[in-house]
Amino acid sequence: MSFSRRTAQLLHEEHQATIAVIESLDQLLEKSRKKAPNAADPSVAKTLNATGNAIEEEVSNHFEFEENELFTRLEDMGDVGIGTHLREEHRTLLPLGKSVAEKARDAMANGFTDETWTEFRTVSAELIERMFAHIQKEEMALLPALEDLLDAETDMEISTAYAESHG
Amino acid sequence: MNMANSFLGGAQDRLLPASIPFRFFLAAALFHVLAWAILFVGAEEVASFRGGPGKTLAAIHLVTLGVLTMAAMGASYQLLPVVTRRPLARDGPARLSFWLMVPGIVILTLGMGLATPSTMLVGAALVCGGLLLFLVLTADNLRRASSLPVVSTHGWLALVSLVILATLGILLIVDFESGFLDSHSDLALIHMIIGSFGFMGFLVLGLSLVLVPMFALSQSPSRTPGWLQAALTSLMLACISGAIFFEILSLFWISATLAIIAACCYLWLMRSALASRMRKRLGLSFVLIRASWAMMVLALALGVAWLADAPLPNAPTLTGFVILVGWLLTFLFGILQRIMPFLASMHAADKSGRPQLLSELTPENPLKVHLICHFTAILMCVTGIVINESLVLQGGAVFGLIGAVAFLTFATRVTLKLRHGK
Repeated sequence: MSFSRRTAQLLHEEHQATIAVIESLDQLLEKSRKKAPNAADPSVAKTLNATGNAIEEEVSNHFEFEENELFTRLEDMGDVGIGTHLREEHRTLLPLGKSVAEKARDAMANGFTDETWTEFRTVSAELIERMFAHIQKEEMALLPALEDLLDAETDMEISTAYAESHG
Repeated sequence: MNMANSFLGGAQDRLLPASIPFRFFLAAALFHVLAWAILFVGAEEVASFRGGPGKTLAAIHLVTLGVLTMAAMGASYQLLPVVTRRPLARDGPARLSFWLMVPGIVILTLGMGLATPSTMLVGAALVCGGLLLFLVLTADNLRRASSLPVVSTHGWLALVSLVILATLGILLIVDFESGFLDSHSDLALIHMIIGSFGFMGFLVLGLSLVLVPMFALSQSPSRTPGWLQAALTSLMLACISGAIFFEILSLFWISATLAIIAACCYLWLMRSALASRMRKRLGLSFVLIRASWAMMVLALALGVAWLADAPLPNAPTLTGFVILVGWLLTFLFGILQRIMPFLASMHAADKSGRPQLLSELTPENPLKVHLICHFTAILMCVTGIVINESLVLQGGAVFGLIGAVAFLTFATRVTLKLRHGK
């Protein structure tokens, strides 16, 4: 996808970054299944590091921005349903993201036991499934709508503020 | 919070009440069962079918109108407003179109099965009423859309094809009684080609540009091949209609060439979309979607062989079967098994009020049964048509029927979870 609005392009790039982490997490789960992987293995450590450090912050900033700056504008236009649904998903995804990030950091420090791996796998599988579906919905129904929702001036204003707050 | 309430709201809302698309999807799944049942009963006349009333014609229209059109209407009502970023003008006509289509299809196919043109006309009138509402709502949505011009153009071309298709359909039914047409079989062939490659074909080509990248989380396909596939398919339809009507052999070959190039554009677009995908595991649905692309190529190859007078037994029936069941139905069920849980998840919540997981809304076992039975049915029916053996066709129809019941089970379970999750 490519978007003419800078805000949509920024959010799309964040989606891509999140998908990369989630996809690598999915592959870790697929590869290891019931046997706990060695957290010191370089490829496992890389995935855990990305999960522990990126997901939580990315997700919470991203969600906050969408809820405060975008859903409100959609709702003002009368397009209520999509924003309401995406807010509900954010409410479910945030604690899941935090939990997975905490567990990934814990695994980096202490490795996995069979028990902690099972917990990690369960909560990660739910995060992966919810996150893929959530991003699909936003890519299809939210980002294209920003082309109409934001004029050039507002687009520049909020995307600049978001980019600055982010980095 | 009961999310359903918020979805019933404003006229500017792009999300329709779930009951609108789901009633069409459920009806499509039910007509699918009926289509295979009628094919089983009428298996003896299938291989040699060359048009005219009877059980084969009824089964064909249960597939084209009952399954393909009903599913396309349900999907278009919900997906077009999201894609075009323009809400549907009104919900009421969409609901009314369902209540015209369902009895219309039943009466029309009953008339076809019993070979009673007057019954067919009553059914056709109801179906045309439903299609007219669909056409007006969709045209109004596309008219207001400024985004995705390639997809919108495919939508417009599908609507133009629908008008031609319905007009020819009515003429053919009237001709069953009065016999005023000199070239009934020619018009029937054009009706079939416009229906499958025009109305359904443009919807498949256009919606693929949106749905495949969305499910695979990939880059949007580039626009030029999209424009090219639309232009070439339009030209192909004009050429082949002229070729049939005026019996010009060279135009047949030009049409075949155009169809092959258009298919190449489409397959190139789909390959690019999948090559750039970020979602690696695409699941069962993409087994069907990929198989449907292979069937599309096979259908074109069979069409060319038929044109070249290759020694292919029952070539017209074989080609028609591969187009309708092999390409279009396979593609439809691949898409439908993704969008039904996807749309349901936007309306349903679990006991703790959280949006439901797609895996909770997707019963996998019926889908596995459907996939195995669907492919077995295609293989057996194709064999039955080639060797002209009704027992083999009946065996294929039994597998098709089991697969159809499995898909109906899937569709019903998704709908029940949606109802309980509201």
